[in-house]
Amino acid sequence: METIATKDVLTLSVALGESMLACGAEIYRVEETVQRILQTYELEDSHVYVISNGIFASSNVGGDGCSLIRSVPLGTIHLGKIAAMNQLARDLAARNCSVSEGWERLRQCQELPPPHKRMAVLCRGIGCSAFCLLFGGSMTDALCAGVIGMVLGLHMNWQERLSMARFAKCLFNSMLVTLLSFLPLWMGLAVSQDRVVISGIIPLFPGIAFTTSVRELFNSDYLSGVIHFVDALLTALCIAAGVGIVISLC
Amino acid sequence: MFVETCIIFAAVISFCVLFAAPRNEWFFCGLGGSVSWMAYQFLKSKNVHFAFAVLGATVVLALLAKLFAILRRQPATIYLLPGIFPLVPGAGIYYTSYFLIMGDWERFSQMGVETFETAAAIALGIILVSALPDRKKS
Repeated sequence: METIATKDVLTLSVALGESMLACGAEIYRVEETVQRILQTYELEDSHVYVISNGIFASSNVGGDGCSLIRSVPLGTIHLGKIAAMNQLARDLAARNCSVSEGWERLRQCQELPPPHKRMAVLCRGIGCSAFCLLFGGSMTDALCAGVIGMVLGLHMNWQERLSMARFAKCLFNSMLVTLLSFLPLWMGLAVSQDRVVISGIIPLFPGIAFTTSVRELFNSDYLSGVIHFVDALLTALCIAAGVGIVISLC
Repeated sequence: MFVETCIIFAAVISFCVLFAAPRNEWFFCGLGGSVSWMAYQFLKSKNVHFAFAVLGATVVLALLAKLFAILRRQPATIYLLPGIFPLVPGAGIYYTSYFLIMGDWERFSQMGVETFETAAAIALGIILVSALPDRKKS
């Protein structure tokens, strides 16, 4: 068996964990993945600590020691990358894949494309109108919500290029949606504006982050739970503030 | 009921696209989401308290996600995240923060508690299912 430095294994496994975390994988899953790879390479004295926006890991085997800290900003969910990296982690843990191969495959995983732009816009529209129907909106409401959702999608594509604070983006997005929801009213269409607004901004809402945070709290990942909780709360407040500002102005 | 299930199916698949789920798994995500929504509606029609209805629907979804994960050798999150979207209290969070900003304390606290209950029910449902023994290590 080839001898592999502790550092190589630790760096690879933490890099893999970092990417998984950035794509929205669960905390305990990331921790387990890194630990399993380290175990496979018999790095006995290893410790991994993962929170929602960082990884700390150290390993010390017979004087060959190494420790790593990674800061991982909260990212957007990419399930395709999670699936691919999950497979890679499984292969690494089963020793079906060497360390150098692992780096190559990790790079391939990271290069998986984000969802197609136009497709994402269309799907945002479909999602918004579907939610509008579920909230008890009429067909006209759903149509308006769908169009607003698509405009929002286009706006978000454009916004990606700007280096603006995330919360400022949230504020502007929700202001845009609320403003647009007044248009059908001014045009004399019979819509229930309330429903159109909610369905328009529902894809922005941190519903999943909120649920994840409660899950983490139950899982006794208290720190991660609190980070996601505060993040969800602030996002929600920004969105609601955007709606409130526009409604009180119009 | 049938129409609603179709709507959920479309909504879940559109979220699969936004979350960049692997194309081959879209159908299964949609299936999980629709079936759990049907379970939610069924429980609600039996006058079950909404938190328990959400809990039941989440358990159904999480079980399906686990089944798909084993059958298709993918992590369960892929089926869980898009499928959970219809249940997640997005509108609840919106109303809670909206009432907070508008200073409507009564409705704020009512909505806030409701939202938290829903989130806790979903989290408990997922945790209950994840406590089931995993497949044998290959």
